[in-house]
Amino acid sequence: MSVVVGFDTATEDTAVAALRGGELVYEARLEPAEKGGPLHASALLSEVEAAVAAAGGWGAVGRLAVGVGPGTFTGIRVGIASAKGLGLSRGLPVSGVCTLDALAAGIGEAAGGRDRLALTDARRGEVFAALYSAAGECLWGPLVSAPEELAERIASLERAALCAGSGAVRFRQQLASRNVEIPNDADPVHRVAARHVCALAASGPGEEGSGAVAPIYLRAPDAERWRERGSLEKAE
Amino acid sequence: MILAIETSCDDTCAAVVDGPRILSNVISSQAAAHAGFGGIVPEVASRQHLELTVPVIEAALAEAGVGLDDVEAIAVTAQPGLIGALLVGLNTAKALAAGRRLPLIPVDHLQGHVAANFLGPEPLDPPFLCLVASGGHTLLAAVRDRAGHEVLGQTLDDAAGEAFDKVARLLGLGYPGGPELERLARDGDPEAFEMPVAMARDPGLDFSFSGLKTALAYLCRDLGPAGVEARRADLAAGFQAAAVGQLTAKLKRALKRGEWPAVALGGGVAANGALREAVAALCEEAGVGLKLVPGLLCTDNAAMIASAARFAPRLPFPDYLAYDARPTARPPLAA
Ligand SMILES: [Zn+2]
Repeated sequence: MSVVVGFDTATEDTAVAALRGGELVYEARLEPAEKGGPLHASALLSEVEAAVAAAGGWGAVGRLAVGVGPGTFTGIRVGIASAKGLGLSRGLPVSGVCTLDALAAGIGEAAGGRDRLALTDARRGEVFAALYSAAGECLWGPLVSAPEELAERIASLERAALCAGSGAVRFRQQLASRNVEIPNDADPVHRVAARHVCALAASGPGEEGSGAVAPIYLRAPDAERWRERGSLEKAE
Repeated sequence: MILAIETSCDDTCAAVVDGPRILSNVISSQAAAHAGFGGIVPEVASRQHLELTVPVIEAALAEAGVGLDDVEAIAVTAQPGLIGALLVGLNTAKALAAGRRLPLIPVDHLQGHVAANFLGPEPLDPPFLCLVASGGHTLLAAVRDRAGHEVLGQTLDDAAGEAFDKVARLLGLGYPGGPELERLARDGDPEAFEMPVAMARDPGLDFSFSGLKTALAYLCRDLGPAGVEARRADLAAGFQAAAVGQLTAKLKRALKRGEWPAVALGGGVAANGALREAVAALCEEAGVGLKLVPGLLCTDNAAMIASAARFAPRLPFPDYLAYDARPTARPPLAA
């Protein structure tokens, strides 16, 4: 059974795993250094090498998987550029996985029969959000939203949901509702685990070349928004 | 054989070079994506690079008629440039190299412009003086060997090409405006308006273009839209003459300060006919040789990065796995 090596750098963490069928052969998650930025560009490839070694070498790897966001633009690009480079180098197929899908898969392990609400911190006072059924089907999202708007969506949920992710931690107070439970801040359910990136890629269509791997930005470049507002001149 | 990747600004480039011989040199310009903004938007550039880098690498390999098995090292621009843009190329290059256990050669972009002169069919041997003027940089460099250069002078504010683009915009020309400004200037009188002579009293070799740009902005304001429209050719000619005058004045000063057998001209602004003519006249007067690299090697490209990589330290696998990009040229690139 060939191994899927997957990683995600769309959040502040650097998450890497190797999965052989249902067997997790390697998993790591590096948080940003104390007082430092994310370790994406500096730590990702070393972790991938460790995952490949644990899997028995590149010859055992049959597919690469990468979290394509939503998340930080730079983090997304470090992940996708690395995945595409490795795919080209090794002649391997590359699967793109929505980072919120992977987060939701982790929430599902703790959700019981409840729906899963995956939220990551989108900075600028906003969250990236997507809602999934207990069966894992995406009900809405991914979208970017102000916490107040999201609170309204939560208030109108038809079923109770387990809500997790860096966005849930950050806006815990604004989002508090009878409809959702948000686990303790320290609970690992708030972090994207790369084993889910691998598993989602393994169960996906599996045909695409790396050209089909597209980032999920959810936001236009700032310059485009200025231009739309007709204020590019003022912004300069 | 070296495969090189360059994504420091708004062109996605890959090339395959065998010694001084260019086997392929693929450049995917993003100009169209930035045109609507009137300038380069870093986030737009980064997004374009992410889409284009692998297809451009594949095109470079195909055009060279080689496969990755033939490649002995991966070279990549590591500094200076737009950080988000650099990161795309660097992470692609690192992954490409790591997957095949190849060495990685991080290259300084400006040394790339210098090293464009080492490429065939008529490579220029050091020592020479190199003037690089583009939208991103303005640099006067002393090149004494193939491994590096000494910066004699650089711009203290805007790059020369940036000033051309900004003035072109003031004159209502499209982006990038340099070539159009040059066309317009041919019909203008360079002395119709008085232009400030920047850095004339500065004894050094640094450049400054923001004063010239500001002078043009005031002129345009005073003339009003109809006046600018009527005098566009004169404004373009005046600006171009002043900009070219400053570049050649510093080059002349540098030539006087040392024994230089040759001058090399590079960067996108080197495509400007008025600059080429002025530098050619200066070189003839000074009795030194002039090397004008072909247009495709003047503007940003990956063949020049591969050329610089031939003379730069190689980082063996796995030493480069943690290597990160740098937005500025300092601290200097070292092994
Ligand atoms: Zn350049």
